[in-house]
Amino acid sequence: MIPPIIDNIDYRTQSQQVKDRFDQLKQRPVVLSVEKLGKVFPSPGGNVTALHDVEFEVFRREFMCVIGPSGCGKSTLIRILAGLETESNGRVSLDDTPVTGPGPDRGMVFQSYTLFPWLTVKQNVMFGPKMEGKTGPGVEADARQWIELVGLSDFENSYPHQLSGGMKQRVAIARALANRPRILLMDEPFGALDAQTRAQMQSYLLQIWRNLDITILFITHDLDEAVYLSDRILVLKANPGEVDEIIEVPVPRPRTLDQTITPEFIATKRRINQLIHPEGAEKQDQLPFPRMTVEGDDVE
Amino acid sequence: MSWSQRSSQPREPWFVVRRDLSGKRTTILSFISFALPLAIWAAISYLPFLWHPDIQLQISADREDVTTVYIAGDRVSKGFFPEFVEAVREQNEDVEALLKSDDPLGGSTESSVRRANKKVLRHLAPVLISHGIINEDQSKEDSIIYQAWADIASGEWVPNSPPLTEENIAIAKKNWGAMSAVSLTYDSNNFISIPLLSLIPQGKPANPDYLPAPDQVAKSGFKVLSMPGENDRPSMVQRIGHSMQIVFGGFLLAALVGVPIGVLCGTYSFFSKLVEPFTDFFRYMPAPTFSTLLVAIFLANDAPKIALVFVGTFFQLVLVVSNTTRRLDLPLLEAAQTLGANQRQLLTKVVIPGILPNLYNDLRILLGWAWTWLVIAELVGVKSGLTEFIETQGRFRNFDLVFPVIILIGLIGFFTDQILALLRGIIFPYTEEGAAASTNPIIKAAMFIPRWFRGAVEARLPPDLPQRKHQPNEA
Repeated sequence: MIPPIIDNIDYRTQSQQVKDRFDQLKQRPVVLSVEKLGKVFPSPGGNVTALHDVEFEVFRREFMCVIGPSGCGKSTLIRILAGLETESNGRVSLDDTPVTGPGPDRGMVFQSYTLFPWLTVKQNVMFGPKMEGKTGPGVEADARQWIELVGLSDFENSYPHQLSGGMKQRVAIARALANRPRILLMDEPFGALDAQTRAQMQSYLLQIWRNLDITILFITHDLDEAVYLSDRILVLKANPGEVDEIIEVPVPRPRTLDQTITPEFIATKRRINQLIHPEGAEKQDQLPFPRMTVEGDDVE
Repeated sequence: MSWSQRSSQPREPWFVVRRDLSGKRTTILSFISFALPLAIWAAISYLPFLWHPDIQLQISADREDVTTVYIAGDRVSKGFFPEFVEAVREQNEDVEALLKSDDPLGGSTESSVRRANKKVLRHLAPVLISHGIINEDQSKEDSIIYQAWADIASGEWVPNSPPLTEENIAIAKKNWGAMSAVSLTYDSNNFISIPLLSLIPQGKPANPDYLPAPDQVAKSGFKVLSMPGENDRPSMVQRIGHSMQIVFGGFLLAALVGVPIGVLCGTYSFFSKLVEPFTDFFRYMPAPTFSTLLVAIFLANDAPKIALVFVGTFFQLVLVVSNTTRRLDLPLLEAAQTLGANQRQLLTKVVIPGILPNLYNDLRILLGWAWTWLVIAELVGVKSGLTEFIETQGRFRNFDLVFPVIILIGLIGFFTDQILALLRGIIFPYTEEGAAASTNPIIKAAMFIPRWFRGAVEARLPPDLPQRKHQPNEA
């Protein structure tokens, strides 16, 4: 647990600038709304409730992160939103239209690399528009623009196996954006990347998000990532997966890496940590090992 | 100790668990992997002390009371040979005893003795053949052979391959003494009618006929390959063509029908549950058990043979292809769905292009599988192709002719597979092999021809024509 260095800051106190921003945000139309969403997986040992009465709304151009302990149903939630999984009860609507299956209006970026290996970067980005039946030079020019947006113009004719992990995920983002979706669903997209690449990708993503009219729902298990990227953070708890709290991040925008040590940032992180690792968790985490060093020796 | 210290760099060990050896070492070992079996074969063939369980006769031999006639080149076991030699000696003693008695014919007629004598006369023929005095078709040129008896007896001619034993030269002298008393030159009407002594069998250690030496196989192989066709006997090239027609015919037919079914099974649970259980059962019925049935259905000629390769390949193919299709990364399909692909597009734009490289490999392996049915298929109905040759020559124990054909079948299969493996990198540039292929010198050299051709064509196009860029996935 993080030692309480800055005790006097509450994660709920917002500067005027941040408060104004949230007021503005909540004025915007709701893009995605989730009502009483539940998911039950039947299993021989009795039904398992993965999600129970999950309710939240995402506003237009909002960046929302979903975080929670492992097994809280984060992935199930985003798969239901994408239409890859069906809900057991409740409803999901996008712009007031119920979601019934997968569609290009909700772009998705997966944790595993899902570029089509037999297509070049450009052909991958053109995949969505082609599925809609769009053809002609416009599609290609459009694809080039999306590739430029993620900074990979020099690689438009490369095959995925020639790209690094970070580059692959950037193409995946461009490919999802090429369909001009209403919302971008991201399921731990940087989970497989190393720490440096991950930081770089977070910065790229914020830049892309700022320059486009796009709403992002981002799943992560990384506290720093969640606080650094989000407007609001949806914290889920496990067994069953329920909304624990929706945190409004008090860190002003635009975000920089320097902000990761500001009091607001740390206070928010501490709050999430409290929610994910409740009281007494440390005791459970104690290993039953006896002491194996000699008392009073020079490594003591 | 000292030799390892002398080298400036530490020696790479040859044996490390799961570590690849250097390219040079790999090449050396690949070479040895072929050279070693060849060396063992050569050693067994050319070093007489290694195996050689038989005696190969150098002059023909037979016994009166035994019907088996051994001619030069035949093999007898080392155990039997001394017994055989002894028997011929005893037979000669009997003849000599007869000659001293009152009745040199020993109760048989003159004509039968003459017939036996003619055989003895011709025992020398192999010696003349090995000296090149007569060829194999002239082994009954009695007048030449008759003269040879005279020359050996007089010492005018001393054969050296094989050299005749003292014992046999003595026999030659005795026989010539009797023969010359009747006539100095061969005269079939005036041929000796008192019994002659038989030559004692001579031979050298040899391996059984089913293990011909490498040089023999190479020589026969050359002969076999250049064998011209006759009316009802196809040439070797025609036989190869015919055999390949059967293998590839059966295989392509199986692939043509099986690949779509396999892809459907791997894509839709419906087809998988409908088709696979029965296919799984059917593949355990060995294809050869259907051979008579296939002849009944498809009658003679190639149809039942191709059908047998089909039956032997098809059911495996369906299961292998459906498995490969199922192994396609599920997230790829999910990603395609979130990009707006409908069910039909998932199949045509994701499943099919996604499995192609693996499908290609499957078909390569299954082509090898189809090859294994070749021999059985060609035995079905009227024997044909390479198998007919192997069967016929094998029955005559002409194993030096059989081996080249067996090796040839292996080479055709091996090189087909190697070429297909090389092509995979060219056809699928986006795979790991594709990346390796672009630096492979053989492929670079091979790709020069189509690239040159394209360049040459484009250079001749009128300049106002728009030159089409290669866009493989442009709809």
